[in-house]
Amino acid sequence: ILTNESYKETDVMSRIEKLKTALKYYSEDKDRQFEVKSTDEHIKLLQIQEQLEKETNQVFLELSLSETIFKCLIIGQTARASKLRSEFRIPEKRFWWIKLKALVKTNDWEGLENF
Amino acid sequence: ANSSDSSSSFSTTILRDFARKELIDILDSIRGKKSLVIDPTISGSLSLIAEFSLLKEHGVENIYHLQPGRFNIQCQHLVYICRPKMINMKYITEHIHENSNNPDNEIQYYIYFVPRRTMICERVLEDVGVYGDVTIGEYHLDIVPLDDDLLSMELDNSFKDLFLDGDMTSLYYVAKALLKLQTIVGIIPKIIGKGKCANYLKDTLFNLRRELEANHANSISSIPLFPLNSEIDSLIILDRSVDVITPMCTQLTYEGLIDEVYGIKSTFVELDSSLVGLTQNTANISHKLKKIPLNSNDKLFSQLRDMNFAVVGGILSQVARRIQDDYEGRHQVKTVSQIRDFIGKLNNLRAEHQSLRLHTNMTEEIRKFTLDSDFNKFLEVQQNFIAGITSHNLVEYIEEMINNQQPIEKTIRLLSLLSSVCGGIKAKSYEFFRKEIVQTYGYQHIITLDNLSKVGLFKKHDKSKNTYPSVRKALKLIVDDVDEHSPNDISYVYSGYAPISVRLIQCACLLSNSKSMPLPSTTSLFNPSSILSSNNTTNNYDDNHSSSNNNTNNSSQSNVSWKGCEEILKLLPGPIFEEEQPVINNSIYLNKKNQNQRKISLVLFLGGCTFTEISSLRFLSQQEDIQRDFIILTTDIINGNTLVDSLINQVQDEIKSLTTLNYS
Repeated sequence: ILTNESYKETDVMSRIEKLKTALKYYSEDKDRQFEVKSTDEHIKLLQIQEQLEKETNQVFLELSLSETIFKCLIIGQTARASKLRSEFRIPEKRFWWIKLKALVKTNDWEGLENF
Repeated sequence: ANSSDSSSSFSTTILRDFARKELIDILDSIRGKKSLVIDPTISGSLSLIAEFSLLKEHGVENIYHLQPGRFNIQCQHLVYICRPKMINMKYITEHIHENSNNPDNEIQYYIYFVPRRTMICERVLEDVGVYGDVTIGEYHLDIVPLDDDLLSMELDNSFKDLFLDGDMTSLYYVAKALLKLQTIVGIIPKIIGKGKCANYLKDTLFNLRRELEANHANSISSIPLFPLNSEIDSLIILDRSVDVITPMCTQLTYEGLIDEVYGIKSTFVELDSSLVGLTQNTANISHKLKKIPLNSNDKLFSQLRDMNFAVVGGILSQVARRIQDDYEGRHQVKTVSQIRDFIGKLNNLRAEHQSLRLHTNMTEEIRKFTLDSDFNKFLEVQQNFIAGITSHNLVEYIEEMINNQQPIEKTIRLLSLLSSVCGGIKAKSYEFFRKEIVQTYGYQHIITLDNLSKVGLFKKHDKSKNTYPSVRKALKLIVDDVDEHSPNDISYVYSGYAPISVRLIQCACLLSNSKSMPLPSTTSLFNPSSILSSNNTTNNYDDNHSSSNNNTNNSSQSNVSWKGCEEILKLLPGPIFEEEQPVINNSIYLNKKNQNQRKISLVLFLGGCTFTEISSLRFLSQQEDIQRDFIILTTDIINGNTLVDSLINQVQDEIKSLTTLNYS
């Protein structure tokens, strides 16, 4: 299993290519549904992060999904955060934790009160 | 603690002297001044073998760490001492190529592999065309004595090598080392063990002995290979895979907690210099790290190391009071911070004061750590899990940890513990946690999770029966009324949980000691509690083992044995074995045994052991019903964090180093 290879690529496009190869290998094994699904998500996240970096001029790559959502909330990309939440089917509990932490971080007392 | 006066004859310093002599021989074989380049993974071991001044006496001018990057050096002889690893070969060839561009600087290269050279490394050197430029040798530094009763191979990540990668190289090193050890202390007559790797090691050891004896028979030498006396009467080999629960628990002894909080490497702990108290000036805010040795030379530390942390503060203030009486006898000192103030006032700091200061400061820092509410909640959940309580709200705590982005090692420790005590996690939760982890900590942990399931630490519940509850009851792992001040059982090291590994050793040492000990009343499973309360005189040990156990008069038979605890051992993974090694001269061994000397067992951990296990073995050796000393040999010293870390897929560091390379 050489998913790690993809991390060695500095360029996002070639990383995604590597992950797609890994995905193919995983798909051949019936017991690897989790790996298939997660690698798929990983590719999707990288694409979204790349887009976000272009739009916001901020670093998003290397962040995990939760961290990405957290960062979106902090820089005011609330709509994007909600989209990520539904797209990756984030459990409600985790999403509220992320949101709560983001509100604290940005000193959004009003938001905290309405929480 | 009754027969501590008859101290054991074997001293671990022999091994140090051995390693020291070999190193000096290597250095002396290279004429003139030389520089050393040392693999960072063995520099800790080397510092225990030889101090810098000794190296200097033998012509060493400079010492460097083997690491990536440019390496400019002016010298005649460059000596690499490193593990036979690919990455090291890469660094070395880079150095050689770089220097070959500089005609003014002709260097003689030497590579000494620790503990042994490998074909593959030599092949790599050949392929890149530097093989002809280097002199290759071996430095057989294998067993490193960490203390009087503690030996380590210092093979980092041995658990991962053995149980994830299936790489048995380290077992070969251990077997070689054990054979060498036996040429010093004599053949160990009795070997028992549990686990797949333990069994493999035993077979390797026997093969190596046969090989050695065959070679010896062909030679004309009349010197016997092994000393006639056997100083160690038994060897107990345990696989870490037999007990993965213990390292997942937070160690609660003093030394164990130091390791959990700061990390101890080759007996050294790195502390902020302000904690060490070398500078009187507290306003000095230089946060330099200082390496402090922790071993039995520090009398105060050797008194404290094995104690439950709860007791340490009290003892420190007692010691402080004693010192105060010695000097002044005026002030009344009660709290730890008062002690520190008091110590700060002392002018002439002798070793004892310095030690007291160090341990007081460290204790205070660790106390802060243990008072943290997260730590306590974590501990509480942990203790519930090992007691077999895995209710919904406890499991939910792990979810909360993930949501709080607590360090992934902590999360995985608790998850692994849950998985181990439940014999796997229910499919639904399993999927849930896997998703939570990769989405929160990153998708590289797809591989981490795969690693964990491969070594069986975190896995989905399968059809097989969960054996932990029976193990827990049979070995009486959970002890409720622990008196940390004067413990009467090893479970004090985790404040109420006895390590499975050490319980097994306890059983092996107690059970067959049939002459002095009442045997347990074996019903379906034996219960050590009946042995521990030694007023049990009933002896209905009448199952099918009794015939083989009836060797009452044969005193050459070692009394370390699995007999009587096979039922329990069956509940734990891996095969068991029990073998007698042919001893060269039995009569001399017998004579020795009849003297009032304490017997010594060598306990070998494959895949690492924790400080708490070491402490519990020290505790056991002082119990009246054990009557033997333990010497511990481990592949490496581990705790839950280092164990989990070795299984975590570390990609971030690689990316970071790659990106920095690209920018430079």
